[in-house]
Amino acid sequence: MGIGVFILEIVAPFLEFVAPIIPGETFPYIFKLEMFQRALLAAIMVTIVAGLLGIFLLIQNLALIGDGLAHVSFGGVAVGVVLGATSPLWYALVFSITASILIHELQSREILTGDASIAIFLTGMLALGLVILRVSGGGITTEIHSYLFGNLLLIDEGSLDMIAMICIISIAFLASIRSTLLACTIDPMAARIQGLPVRGIGLLFSIITAAVVVSMVQVVGTLLVTALLVTPAATAQLIGRSFRSCLIWTQVFGLSSVFFGLYLSSELNAGSGSMIALVSAIVFGIVAISKISYDYVYQTNEN
Amino acid sequence: MQSVKVEITPPKRGQPDQRVEFPHSEGEVSVLDVQNMTVVRSGRVIIRDIDLKINKGEFVGLVGPNGSGKSTLLLAILGVLKSKTGTVSIYGHPPMSRKLNGKIGWVSQAASNLPRDIRITVRELVQLGTRNASNMFFWTNSKQKELVDKAIKMVGLENVENTDIARLSGGQRQRAVIARALASDAEFILLDEPLVGIDRESRNSLLKLLDLLCHDEGKTILMVSHDLTAIRQTAHRMIFLEEAIRFDGNTNDFPDLNTLAKLRGIEPVHSSGDWNEHNHSKEEE
Repeated sequence: MGIGVFILEIVAPFLEFVAPIIPGETFPYIFKLEMFQRALLAAIMVTIVAGLLGIFLLIQNLALIGDGLAHVSFGGVAVGVVLGATSPLWYALVFSITASILIHELQSREILTGDASIAIFLTGMLALGLVILRVSGGGITTEIHSYLFGNLLLIDEGSLDMIAMICIISIAFLASIRSTLLACTIDPMAARIQGLPVRGIGLLFSIITAAVVVSMVQVVGTLLVTALLVTPAATAQLIGRSFRSCLIWTQVFGLSSVFFGLYLSSELNAGSGSMIALVSAIVFGIVAISKISYDYVYQTNEN
Repeated sequence: MQSVKVEITPPKRGQPDQRVEFPHSEGEVSVLDVQNMTVVRSGRVIIRDIDLKINKGEFVGLVGPNGSGKSTLLLAILGVLKSKTGTVSIYGHPPMSRKLNGKIGWVSQAASNLPRDIRITVRELVQLGTRNASNMFFWTNSKQKELVDKAIKMVGLENVENTDIARLSGGQRQRAVIARALASDAEFILLDEPLVGIDRESRNSLLKLLDLLCHDEGKTILMVSHDLTAIRQTAHRMIFLEEAIRFDGNTNDFPDLNTLAKLRGIEPVHSSGDWNEHNHSKEEE
């Protein structure tokens, strides 16, 4: 029994307990049936760790690295599928981590700064995936489609274990190293002079980002990873007034987007990944508009 | 402190020049010792033959025109840039040595320094300064909290310690960055152009703060600035750097602009001098 299944056994009674008070016609089933419980647990874990990562990615101006690595993962998945792997996500993991290390090195050595290195890996690996699929004669099958847009129902016990392992290690790492990582992120030069191993920490952070992105691919899909990675953190930036409050707000926005997105997708029978992404974007829009109007009113009152 | 008699013979540009040795009284603790340092970047000599000793409690101002290698010297001292020749020792250790963890504080231009996409309070920012390789995996303990309190108090930001730094003025933000450098209980503080982009009032109070740190707290300060007036007001000792050290001595003996021009090996074009700092200092006065 893997760690994911172990956690599921712990939380399953709780999910079944709250099921009767959950609104909607089909939504309560997500809390009742084991297949859906797995999906829900995976979505929650991924959202928590994505929010933590997202804040640091925003500071580094690397909002699109999630998107880039997700496309690289897609290339890995395609290779895995063509080679007949039972769990193509492991291929995605190897591809994604390799790419993130290379991107980090390109940027820290100032060979290619900014988004250019991300763009090259994104398109290159996506193209590799598409070419391999076409040459092997498979094309875009249902399985491939689910990796592109996410399919919570495809999360079996093996995937849940993998997602849980990645998320728990990442959360433990990020929680213990939070301040150090923040110091290295906002002012690498000062951090280096303080005696922090900025390079090593940056590398570890890249590897963790890569692993988390792979674990997100099954939940929201390659094309929508950024929705959970960046949108909740960006929404939190609008209203948070300290780093700590941003951490909390990110989780509030991320988890509510997931719950509301799952609710809508089950009631309207729409894709779960795309609905979560849509909801988190709408939440951002609402918060941004409220903030602008609040600031406007507040400032006019002051004058 | 004794004043030194400055003997100036104008050197030819690009040749080794005469230097004024600052008198070090016996028994003073040496903080920084740079010997024969030359830094070359992409084939160009940025600074050469630097010999520099700084003792505990000194406030040293490092001045020079743009591109004279002031920041390069700081970064080479800190070990961020590798020097081609020469040695640096800080408290007897090479730069970047683990033994120096927490002993060195670094302050650079605040405004360009901190990313915008972040909400962080003064206290949270200052707390980051307590981090080093030996405590990077641990959460903040009570001793570090005390240091943070002390640092915030020292720079006078107690009343805004829970405010987002984006809401502070440039001067306050610069103070917050100085507090971060102090939070590790640093004894040797290097500042790279800390006065850029802040208004005159904050500039004066910042200089007062540095003076206080030096006199009351016994910190050693090396400050780079091209604001000649500001440095003259506060520093005990001034270094004029242009590729090499052209002047090193007591602030009172800092040469006037004509002499400075000769030191730099250029003929003064206007009698009043054409160095922009001079005009700047006139405006200030």
